[in-house]
Amino acid sequence: MLDVVLLLFLGALILLGLRRPFIWVLAYLYVDIVAPQKIGWVILPSVQASLITFVLAFAGFALLDNKKGVRFTPRQAVLLLLLIWCGITTQFADFPESAAMKWSWVWKSMLFALFLPLAVRTRLRLEAAVAVCVLSLAAIVISGGMKTLFGGGGYGMLVTLSSDNAGIYEGSTLSTVTIASIPLIWWLARHGTLFPARTKPVMLFALGLTFASLLIPIGTQTRTGLLCIAFLGALMMRTVKHRFLYAALAGVLALITLPFLPQAYQERISTISNHQSDQSASTRVEVWKWTLEYVAESPMGGGFDSYLGNSIRYETVDQVQEGSVVRTERHEVVDEGRAFHSAYFEVLGEQGFPGFILWALLHLSGLVSMERLRRRGMASDDPDMKRWGALANSLQQVQLIYLLGALFVGIAYQPFILIVLGLQIALSTIVKNSDRYVEEAGRKARVTAKRSRTQEATA
Amino acid sequence: MIDYFAIGLTHGLILFLCWRLLNRDDLDDPLASPPETRSRRGKRSARKKRETAQADA
Repeated sequence: MLDVVLLLFLGALILLGLRRPFIWVLAYLYVDIVAPQKIGWVILPSVQASLITFVLAFAGFALLDNKKGVRFTPRQAVLLLLLIWCGITTQFADFPESAAMKWSWVWKSMLFALFLPLAVRTRLRLEAAVAVCVLSLAAIVISGGMKTLFGGGGYGMLVTLSSDNAGIYEGSTLSTVTIASIPLIWWLARHGTLFPARTKPVMLFALGLTFASLLIPIGTQTRTGLLCIAFLGALMMRTVKHRFLYAALAGVLALITLPFLPQAYQERISTISNHQSDQSASTRVEVWKWTLEYVAESPMGGGFDSYLGNSIRYETVDQVQEGSVVRTERHEVVDEGRAFHSAYFEVLGEQGFPGFILWALLHLSGLVSMERLRRRGMASDDPDMKRWGALANSLQQVQLIYLLGALFVGIAYQPFILIVLGLQIALSTIVKNSDRYVEEAGRKARVTAKRSRTQEATA
Repeated sequence: MIDYFAIGLTHGLILFLCWRLLNRDDLDDPLASPPETRSRRGKRSARKKRETAQADA
Protein backbone atom coordinates (compact mmCIF):
# COMPACT_ATOMS: atom_id res chain seq x y z
CA MET A 1 0.00 0.00 0.00
CA LEU A 2 2.78 2.43 1.01
CA ASP A 3 4.60 1.55 -2.22
CA VAL A 4 1.52 2.47 -4.26
CA VAL A 5 1.03 5.78 -2.42
CA LEU A 6 4.66 6.79 -2.92
CA LEU A 7 4.65 5.69 -6.55
CA LEU A 8 1.49 7.69 -7.24
CA PHE A 9 3.09 10.69 -5.53
CA LEU A 10 6.24 10.42 -7.66
CA GLY A 11 4.12 9.91 -10.78
CA ALA A 12 2.10 13.04 -9.96
CA LEU A 13 5.29 15.08 -9.55
CA ILE A 14 6.61 13.83 -12.87
CA LEU A 15 3.31 14.69 -14.58
CA LEU A 16 3.22 18.19 -13.06
CA GLY A 17 6.80 18.61 -14.28
CA LEU A 18 5.56 18.31 -17.86
CA ARG A 19 3.94 21.75 -17.39
CA ARG A 20 6.75 23.20 -15.25
CA PRO A 21 10.00 21.27 -15.65
CA PHE A 22 11.44 22.85 -12.48
CA ILE A 23 9.14 20.50 -10.54
CA TRP A 24 11.47 17.68 -11.62
CA VAL A 25 14.26 19.43 -9.71
CA LEU A 26 11.97 19.50 -6.67
CA ALA A 27 11.19 15.80 -7.24
CA TYR A 28 14.90 14.96 -7.11
CA LEU A 29 15.32 17.05 -3.94
CA TYR A 30 12.56 14.96 -2.38
CA VAL A 31 14.08 11.65 -3.52
CA ASP A 32 17.58 12.68 -2.39
CA ILE A 33 16.38 13.55 1.12
CA VAL A 34 13.69 10.96 1.82
CA ALA A 35 15.09 8.06 -0.26
CA PRO A 36 11.61 6.55 -0.90
CA GLN A 37 13.27 3.39 -2.26
CA LYS A 38 14.22 2.65 1.37
CA ILE A 39 10.64 3.11 2.60
CA GLY A 40 8.83 0.86 0.15
CA TRP A 41 9.10 -2.91 0.32
CA VAL A 42 7.85 -4.38 -2.92
CA ILE A 43 7.91 -2.13 -5.97
CA LEU A 44 9.90 0.92 -4.94
CA PRO A 45 13.29 -0.73 -4.29
CA SER A 46 13.30 -1.90 -7.91
CA VAL A 47 12.22 1.47 -9.36
CA GLN A 48 15.23 3.70 -10.03
CA ALA A 49 13.47 6.76 -8.57
CA SER A 50 16.74 8.56 -7.93
CA LEU A 51 18.08 7.98 -11.45
CA ILE A 52 14.77 8.87 -13.15
CA THR A 53 14.31 12.18 -11.30
CA PHE A 54 18.05 12.98 -11.65
CA VAL A 55 17.88 12.60 -15.44
CA LEU A 56 14.55 14.47 -15.67
CA ALA A 57 15.87 17.38 -13.55
CA PHE A 58 18.96 17.78 -15.74
CA ALA A 59 17.11 17.24 -19.03
CA GLY A 60 14.34 19.67 -18.03
CA PHE A 61 16.92 22.36 -17.30
CA ALA A 62 19.11 21.69 -20.33
CA LEU A 63 16.32 21.41 -22.91
CA LEU A 64 13.31 23.34 -21.63
CA ASP A 65 14.53 26.10 -19.30
CA ASN A 66 15.14 29.67 -20.52
CA LYS A 67 18.24 29.90 -18.22
CA LYS A 68 17.83 33.63 -17.62
CA GLY A 69 20.19 34.71 -14.82
CA VAL A 70 22.26 31.51 -14.78
CA ARG A 71 25.79 32.00 -13.42
CA PHE A 72 28.69 29.77 -12.50
CA THR A 73 30.19 31.05 -9.24
CA PRO A 74 33.62 30.56 -7.62
CA ARG A 75 32.00 28.43 -4.88
CA GLN A 76 30.64 26.08 -7.54
CA ALA A 77 34.16 25.89 -8.96
CA VAL A 78 35.44 24.79 -5.52
CA LEU A 79 32.70 22.16 -5.33
CA LEU A 80 33.56 20.96 -8.83
CA LEU A 81 37.24 20.67 -7.88
CA LEU A 82 36.29 18.68 -4.78
CA LEU A 83 34.13 16.38 -6.92
CA ILE A 84 36.98 15.82 -9.38
CA TRP A 85 39.43 15.23 -6.53
CA CYS A 86 37.09 12.66 -4.93
CA GLY A 87 36.91 10.91 -8.33
CA ILE A 88 40.70 10.82 -8.52
CA THR A 89 41.19 9.45 -4.98
CA THR A 90 38.59 6.76 -5.75
CA GLN A 91 40.91 5.57 -8.54
CA PHE A 92 43.81 4.96 -6.16
CA ALA A 93 41.77 4.13 -3.04
CA ASP A 94 43.13 1.80 -0.34
CA PHE A 95 39.90 -0.21 -0.54
CA PRO A 96 38.77 0.11 -4.17
CA GLU A 97 35.50 -1.84 -3.90
CA SER A 98 34.28 -0.03 -0.81
CA ALA A 99 35.41 3.32 -2.22
CA ALA A 100 33.55 2.68 -5.48
CA MET A 101 30.37 1.92 -3.50
CA LYS A 102 30.54 5.24 -1.64
CA TRP A 103 31.52 7.15 -4.80
CA SER A 104 28.39 5.78 -6.53
CA TRP A 105 26.13 7.99 -4.38
CA VAL A 106 28.52 10.79 -3.42
CA TRP A 107 29.13 11.95 -6.99
CA LYS A 108 25.42 12.21 -7.63
CA SER A 109 24.78 14.33 -4.53
CA MET A 110 27.77 16.59 -5.25
CA LEU A 111 26.87 17.02 -8.90
CA PHE A 112 23.32 17.88 -7.93
CA ALA A 113 24.54 20.48 -5.40
CA LEU A 114 26.64 21.93 -8.21
CA PHE A 115 23.65 22.01 -10.54
CA LEU A 116 21.08 23.26 -8.02
CA PRO A 117 22.17 26.96 -8.09
CA LEU A 118 21.90 26.91 -11.90
CA ALA A 119 18.31 25.68 -11.79
CA VAL A 120 17.25 27.71 -8.73
CA ARG A 121 17.56 31.09 -10.43
CA THR A 122 14.36 32.88 -9.39
CA ARG A 123 13.11 33.89 -5.97
CA LEU A 124 10.05 31.67 -6.23
CA ARG A 125 12.19 28.67 -7.16
CA LEU A 126 14.38 29.29 -4.12
CA GLU A 127 11.39 29.43 -1.81
CA ALA A 128 9.89 26.30 -3.39
CA ALA A 129 13.19 24.42 -3.01
CA VAL A 130 13.46 25.40 0.68
CA ALA A 131 9.85 24.35 1.26
CA VAL A 132 10.31 20.96 -0.43
CA CYS A 133 13.47 20.31 1.62
CA VAL A 134 11.64 21.13 4.86
CA LEU A 135 8.52 19.12 3.95
CA SER A 136 10.55 16.12 2.76
CA LEU A 137 12.46 16.04 6.01
CA ALA A 138 9.18 16.62 7.86
CA ALA A 139 7.90 13.25 6.62
CA ILE A 140 10.69 11.52 8.57
CA VAL A 141 10.58 13.93 11.51
CA ILE A 142 6.80 13.76 12.10
CA SER A 143 6.94 9.96 12.01
CA GLY A 144 9.93 9.86 14.41
CA GLY A 145 8.54 12.57 16.68
CA MET A 146 5.15 10.89 17.07
CA LYS A 147 6.72 7.48 17.73
CA THR A 148 8.95 9.05 20.40
CA LEU A 149 5.94 10.72 21.98
CA PHE A 150 4.03 7.43 22.09
CA GLY A 151 6.88 5.68 23.82
CA GLY A 152 9.03 4.25 21.02
CA GLY A 153 12.69 4.95 20.55
CA GLY A 154 16.04 4.17 22.07
CA TYR A 155 19.63 4.42 20.83
CA GLY A 156 19.73 2.81 17.37
CA MET A 157 16.14 1.62 17.88
CA LEU A 158 13.86 4.42 16.71
CA VAL A 159 12.51 3.34 13.36
CA THR A 160 11.15 6.34 11.47
CA LEU A 161 10.00 5.73 7.89
CA SER A 162 12.69 3.17 7.13
CA SER A 163 14.31 0.46 9.24
CA ASP A 164 17.57 1.06 7.38
CA ASN A 165 20.00 2.51 9.95
CA ALA A 166 22.07 4.36 7.35
CA GLY A 167 22.15 7.71 5.57
CA ILE A 168 19.59 10.14 6.92
CA TYR A 169 17.85 7.30 8.80
CA GLU A 170 20.89 6.84 11.10
CA GLY A 171 20.11 8.34 14.55
CA SER A 172 22.94 10.89 14.93
CA THR A 173 22.70 12.01 11.30
CA LEU A 174 18.93 12.44 11.56
CA SER A 175 19.25 14.36 14.85
CA THR A 176 21.85 16.76 13.44
CA VAL A 177 20.03 17.38 10.17
CA THR A 178 16.65 17.74 11.90
CA ILE A 179 17.82 20.27 14.47
CA ALA A 180 19.81 22.12 11.82
CA SER A 181 16.72 22.52 9.65
CA ILE A 182 14.60 24.22 12.35
CA PRO A 183 15.69 27.75 11.23
CA LEU A 184 14.41 26.95 7.73
CA ILE A 185 10.98 25.96 9.12
CA TRP A 186 10.72 29.37 10.75
CA TRP A 187 11.93 31.26 7.73
CA LEU A 188 9.11 29.69 5.73
CA ALA A 189 6.58 30.34 8.49
CA ARG A 190 7.57 34.02 8.71
CA HIS A 191 8.53 34.88 5.14
CA GLY A 192 6.92 32.24 2.86
CA THR A 193 4.47 33.13 0.09
CA LEU A 194 3.51 29.67 -1.21
CA PHE A 195 2.05 28.87 2.19
CA PRO A 196 1.08 32.39 3.33
CA ALA A 197 3.42 33.51 6.12
CA ARG A 198 2.26 34.27 9.65
CA THR A 199 -1.17 32.72 9.12
CA LYS A 200 -2.62 30.50 11.85
CA PRO A 201 -2.34 27.12 10.04
CA VAL A 202 1.24 27.82 8.93
CA MET A 203 2.37 28.96 12.39
CA LEU A 204 0.69 25.91 13.99
CA PHE A 205 2.37 23.56 11.52
CA ALA A 206 5.75 25.23 12.16
CA LEU A 207 5.26 24.91 15.91
CA GLY A 208 4.27 21.24 15.65
CA LEU A 209 7.16 20.44 13.33
CA THR A 210 9.64 22.20 15.63
CA PHE A 211 8.33 20.17 18.55
CA ALA A 212 8.64 16.94 16.55
CA SER A 213 12.19 17.98 15.53
CA LEU A 214 13.17 18.54 19.18
CA LEU A 215 11.85 15.05 19.99
CA ILE A 216 14.14 13.36 17.45
CA PRO A 217 17.36 13.56 19.55
CA ILE A 218 15.32 12.18 22.48
CA GLY A 219 13.85 9.36 20.38
CA THR A 220 17.20 8.42 18.88
CA GLN A 221 18.95 9.10 22.22
CA THR A 222 21.87 10.79 20.53
CA ARG A 223 24.18 13.12 22.42
CA THR A 224 25.10 15.00 19.25
CA GLY A 225 21.46 16.00 18.83
CA LEU A 226 21.33 17.49 22.30
CA LEU A 227 24.50 19.49 21.64
CA CYS A 228 22.92 20.75 18.43
CA ILE A 229 19.78 21.87 20.32
CA ALA A 230 21.92 23.80 22.83
CA PHE A 231 23.90 25.38 20.00
CA LEU A 232 20.73 26.35 18.13
CA GLY A 233 19.50 28.01 21.34
CA ALA A 234 22.75 29.98 21.56
CA LEU A 235 22.59 30.98 17.88
CA MET A 236 19.03 32.28 18.30
CA MET A 237 20.38 34.79 20.81
CA ARG A 238 21.85 36.72 17.87
CA THR A 239 18.48 37.40 16.30
CA VAL A 240 15.82 37.41 19.04
CA LYS A 241 14.53 40.79 20.19
CA HIS A 242 14.36 40.27 23.95
CA ARG A 243 17.54 38.35 24.68
CA PHE A 244 17.32 38.19 28.47
CA LEU A 245 13.71 37.06 28.43
CA TYR A 246 14.57 34.46 25.79
CA ALA A 247 17.57 33.15 27.76
CA ALA A 248 15.53 32.95 30.97
CA LEU A 249 12.66 31.13 29.22
CA ALA A 250 15.05 28.69 27.53
CA GLY A 251 16.72 27.96 30.89
CA VAL A 252 13.37 27.33 32.61
CA LEU A 253 12.20 25.13 29.72
CA ALA A 254 15.41 23.06 29.92
CA LEU A 255 15.00 22.63 33.69
CA ILE A 256 11.38 21.50 33.28
CA THR A 257 12.16 19.11 30.40
CA LEU A 258 15.27 17.36 31.75
CA PRO A 259 13.53 15.24 34.43
CA PHE A 260 11.10 13.94 31.78
CA LEU A 261 13.86 12.56 29.56
CA PRO A 262 14.11 8.74 29.48
CA GLN A 263 16.54 7.29 32.05
CA ALA A 264 18.67 5.63 29.35
CA TYR A 265 19.08 8.98 27.58
CA GLN A 266 20.05 10.75 30.80
CA GLU A 267 22.76 8.14 31.32
CA ARG A 268 24.06 8.67 27.79
CA ILE A 269 24.08 12.44 28.27
CA SER A 270 26.11 12.11 31.47
CA THR A 271 28.94 10.47 29.47
CA ILE A 272 29.44 13.67 27.41
CA SER A 273 31.66 15.10 30.14
CA ASN A 274 33.21 11.71 31.11
CA HIS A 275 34.29 10.23 27.80
CA GLN A 276 36.91 7.90 29.33
CA SER A 277 34.34 5.40 30.55
CA ASP A 278 32.52 5.39 27.23
CA GLN A 279 33.73 3.01 24.56
CA SER A 280 32.11 4.95 21.70
CA ALA A 281 33.78 8.22 22.74
CA SER A 282 37.16 6.56 23.41
CA THR A 283 37.10 4.94 19.97
CA ARG A 284 36.46 8.30 18.35
CA VAL A 285 39.46 9.92 19.98
CA GLU A 286 41.66 6.98 18.96
CA VAL A 287 40.34 6.95 15.37
CA TRP A 288 41.04 10.68 15.11
CA LYS A 289 44.63 10.13 16.34
CA TRP A 290 45.01 7.33 13.80
CA THR A 291 43.70 9.61 11.01
CA LEU A 292 46.25 12.31 11.83
CA GLU A 293 49.05 9.73 11.72
CA TYR A 294 47.63 8.28 8.51
CA VAL A 295 47.53 11.60 6.60
CA ALA A 296 51.00 12.44 7.85
CA GLU A 297 52.12 9.35 5.90
CA SER A 298 49.63 9.66 2.99
CA PRO A 299 48.89 13.39 2.59
CA MET A 300 46.79 12.73 -0.53
CA GLY A 301 44.33 10.58 1.46
CA GLY A 302 43.33 6.98 1.01
CA GLY A 303 40.08 7.38 -0.92
CA PHE A 304 36.59 6.70 0.40
CA ASP A 305 36.33 4.37 3.43
CA SER A 306 40.08 4.48 4.11
CA TYR A 307 39.19 3.98 7.78
CA LEU A 308 38.81 0.25 7.01
CA GLY A 309 42.59 0.02 7.38
CA ASN A 310 42.71 1.07 11.02
CA SER A 311 43.28 -1.20 13.99
CA ILE A 312 42.93 0.53 17.32
CA ARG A 313 43.92 -0.61 20.76
CA TYR A 314 42.79 1.53 23.66
CA GLU A 315 41.79 1.45 27.31
CA THR A 316 38.48 2.42 28.86
CA VAL A 317 38.55 3.61 32.46
CA ASP A 318 35.58 2.84 34.75
CA GLN A 319 34.99 3.94 38.34
CA VAL A 320 33.40 1.07 40.31
CA GLN A 321 31.94 1.80 43.73
CA GLU A 322 32.34 -1.03 46.29
CA GLY A 323 30.90 0.06 49.61
CA SER A 324 32.76 3.24 50.51
CA VAL A 325 35.71 2.46 48.22
CA VAL A 326 35.87 3.62 44.62
CA ARG A 327 37.95 1.31 42.46
CA THR A 328 39.27 2.18 39.01
CA GLU A 329 38.90 -0.57 36.42
CA ARG A 330 40.78 -0.49 33.13
CA HIS A 331 39.72 -2.58 30.14
CA GLU A 332 41.71 -2.98 26.97
CA VAL A 333 39.62 -2.88 23.79
CA VAL A 334 40.77 -3.65 20.25
CA ASP A 335 38.79 -2.32 17.31
CA GLU A 336 39.35 -2.80 13.62
CA GLY A 337 37.96 -0.76 10.74
CA ARG A 338 36.25 1.78 12.97
CA ALA A 339 34.50 4.59 11.09
CA PHE A 340 35.77 8.17 11.37
CA HIS A 341 32.85 9.42 13.52
CA SER A 342 33.58 12.97 12.37
CA ALA A 343 33.10 14.64 9.01
CA TYR A 344 36.33 16.63 9.46
CA PHE A 345 38.43 13.48 9.94
CA GLU A 346 36.38 11.67 7.31
CA VAL A 347 37.39 14.22 4.65
CA LEU A 348 40.97 14.41 5.93
CA GLY A 349 41.46 10.63 5.98
CA GLU A 350 39.70 9.99 2.69
CA GLN A 351 40.63 13.01 0.58
CA GLY A 352 43.89 14.03 2.27
CA PHE A 353 44.98 17.65 2.61
CA PRO A 354 43.89 18.81 -0.88
CA GLY A 355 40.34 17.52 -0.33
CA PHE A 356 40.18 18.87 3.21
CA ILE A 357 41.29 22.34 2.09
CA LEU A 358 38.62 22.40 -0.65
CA TRP A 359 35.92 21.14 1.74
CA ALA A 360 36.88 23.70 4.41
CA LEU A 361 36.98 26.47 1.80
CA LEU A 362 33.51 25.50 0.62
CA HIS A 363 32.10 25.79 4.13
CA LEU A 364 34.04 28.89 5.19
CA SER A 365 33.06 30.79 2.05
CA GLY A 366 29.44 29.81 2.72
CA LEU A 367 29.54 31.19 6.24
CA VAL A 368 31.14 34.44 5.06
CA SER A 369 28.77 34.98 2.14
CA MET A 370 25.70 34.28 4.30
CA GLU A 371 27.02 36.66 6.98
CA ARG A 372 27.37 39.42 4.35
CA LEU A 373 23.78 38.92 3.16
CA ARG A 374 22.50 38.67 6.72
CA ARG A 375 24.03 42.03 7.63
CA ARG A 376 22.83 43.61 4.41
CA GLY A 377 19.30 42.39 5.13
CA MET A 378 19.39 43.76 8.66
CA ALA A 379 20.58 47.18 7.50
CA SER A 380 18.14 47.40 4.57
CA ASP A 381 14.68 49.02 4.54
CA ASP A 382 13.63 47.02 1.49
CA PRO A 383 11.24 44.23 2.65
CA ASP A 384 12.51 41.94 -0.10
CA MET A 385 16.12 42.33 0.99
CA LYS A 386 15.09 41.83 4.61
CA ARG A 387 13.44 38.57 3.58
CA TRP A 388 16.59 37.32 1.84
CA GLY A 389 18.75 38.51 4.73
CA ALA A 390 16.58 36.37 7.01
CA LEU A 391 17.03 33.37 4.70
CA ALA A 392 20.81 33.93 4.70
CA ASN A 393 20.68 33.94 8.48
CA SER A 394 18.73 30.66 8.51
CA LEU A 395 21.01 28.97 5.96
CA GLN A 396 24.02 30.08 8.00
CA GLN A 397 22.48 28.65 11.17
CA VAL A 398 21.77 25.36 9.38
CA GLN A 399 25.40 25.20 8.30
CA LEU A 400 26.80 26.13 11.74
CA ILE A 401 24.70 23.47 13.49
CA TYR A 402 25.75 20.95 10.85
CA LEU A 403 29.41 21.90 11.38
CA LEU A 404 29.00 21.24 15.11
CA GLY A 405 27.22 17.90 14.62
CA ALA A 406 29.80 16.98 11.96
CA LEU A 407 32.48 17.06 14.68
CA PHE A 408 31.07 13.76 15.96
CA VAL A 409 29.31 12.21 12.97
CA GLY A 410 30.76 11.25 9.57
CA ILE A 411 28.36 13.27 7.42
CA ALA A 412 30.71 15.14 5.10
CA TYR A 413 28.76 14.20 1.98
CA GLN A 414 25.25 14.05 3.49
CA PRO A 415 22.89 15.00 0.63
CA PHE A 416 20.90 17.41 2.82
CA ILE A 417 23.92 19.58 3.66
CA LEU A 418 25.11 19.53 0.05
CA ILE A 419 21.65 20.79 -0.93
CA VAL A 420 21.94 23.54 1.69
CA LEU A 421 25.29 24.60 0.17
CA GLY A 422 23.59 24.66 -3.25
CA LEU A 423 20.77 26.83 -1.86
CA GLN A 424 23.30 29.23 -0.32
CA ILE A 425 24.98 29.69 -3.70
CA ALA A 426 21.58 30.13 -5.36
CA LEU A 427 20.62 32.82 -2.82
CA SER A 428 23.84 34.79 -3.39
CA THR A 429 23.38 34.58 -7.16
CA ILE A 430 19.72 35.68 -7.02
CA VAL A 431 20.59 38.72 -4.87
CA LYS A 432 23.50 39.62 -7.19
CA ASN A 433 21.26 39.26 -10.24
CA SER A 434 18.50 41.42 -8.76
CA ASP A 435 21.15 44.10 -7.97
CA ARG A 436 22.17 43.91 -11.62
CA TYR A 437 18.56 44.16 -12.83
CA VAL A 438 17.98 47.24 -10.64
CA GLU A 439 21.22 48.78 -11.95
CA GLU A 440 20.23 48.06 -15.57
CA ALA A 441 16.72 49.49 -15.04
CA GLY A 442 18.27 52.65 -13.51
CA ARG A 443 20.67 53.01 -16.45
CA LYS A 444 17.84 52.57 -18.95
CA ALA A 445 15.71 55.16 -17.13
CA ARG A 446 18.63 57.63 -17.16
CA VAL A 447 19.19 57.10 -20.89
CA THR A 448 15.47 57.58 -21.66
CA ALA A 449 15.33 60.73 -19.53
CA LYS A 450 18.43 62.11 -21.27
CA ARG A 451 16.97 61.31 -24.71
CA SER A 452 13.64 63.00 -23.94
CA ARG A 453 15.50 66.09 -22.61
CA THR A 454 17.53 66.32 -25.86
CA GLN A 455 14.35 65.93 -27.94
CA GLU A 456 12.66 68.69 -25.94
CA ALA A 457 15.71 70.95 -26.41
CA THR A 458 15.81 70.37 -30.20
CA ALA A 459 12.04 70.91 -30.46
CA MET B 1 -0.58 4.27 11.02
CA ILE B 2 1.79 7.04 12.16
CA ASP B 3 3.84 6.59 8.98
CA TYR B 4 0.73 6.92 6.83
CA PHE B 5 -0.21 10.11 8.65
CA ALA B 6 3.31 11.58 8.30
CA ILE B 7 3.54 10.66 4.63
CA GLY B 8 -0.03 11.74 3.82
CA LEU B 9 0.36 15.16 5.43
CA THR B 10 3.79 16.08 4.09
CA HIS B 11 3.41 14.59 0.63
CA GLY B 12 0.00 16.23 0.30
CA LEU B 13 1.58 19.59 1.14
CA ILE B 14 4.37 19.04 -1.41
CA LEU B 15 1.79 18.26 -4.09
CA PHE B 16 -0.26 21.33 -3.12
CA LEU B 17 2.89 23.45 -3.34
CA CYS B 18 3.75 22.11 -6.81
CA TRP B 19 0.16 22.69 -7.91
CA ARG B 20 0.43 26.33 -6.82
CA LEU B 21 3.64 26.72 -8.84
CA LEU B 22 1.90 25.80 -12.10
CA ASN B 23 0.30 29.22 -12.62
CA ARG B 24 3.09 31.42 -11.37
CA ASP B 25 5.00 33.38 -14.05
CA ASP B 26 7.71 34.31 -11.57
CA LEU B 27 8.71 30.62 -11.33
CA ASP B 28 10.66 30.85 -14.59
CA ASP B 29 11.06 34.58 -15.12
CA PRO B 30 13.29 36.37 -12.60
CA LEU B 31 11.88 39.75 -13.64
CA ALA B 32 8.19 38.83 -13.27
CA SER B 33 6.65 40.13 -10.09
CA PRO B 34 4.77 37.82 -7.74
CA PRO B 35 0.95 38.06 -7.80
CA GLU B 36 -0.61 40.49 -5.37
CA THR B 37 -1.15 38.71 -2.09
CA ARG B 38 -4.00 40.13 -0.11
CA SER B 39 -3.68 39.80 3.63
CA ARG B 40 -6.59 38.46 5.64
CA ARG B 41 -7.08 41.93 7.06
CA GLY B 42 -7.07 43.25 3.48
CA LYS B 43 -9.74 40.73 2.51
CA ARG B 44 -11.84 41.63 5.51
CA SER B 45 -11.63 45.36 4.88
CA ALA B 46 -12.47 44.80 1.18
CA ARG B 47 -15.54 42.80 2.20
CA LYS B 48 -16.51 45.53 4.68
CA LYS B 49 -16.16 48.19 1.97
CA ARG B 50 -18.35 46.13 -0.37
CA GLU B 51 -20.98 45.70 2.34
CA THR B 52 -20.98 49.43 3.14
CA ALA B 53 -21.32 50.26 -0.55
CA GLN B 54 -24.28 47.87 -0.86
CA ALA B 55 -25.91 49.35 2.25
CA ASP B 56 -25.45 52.87 0.85
CA ALA B 57 -27.02 51.79 -2.42
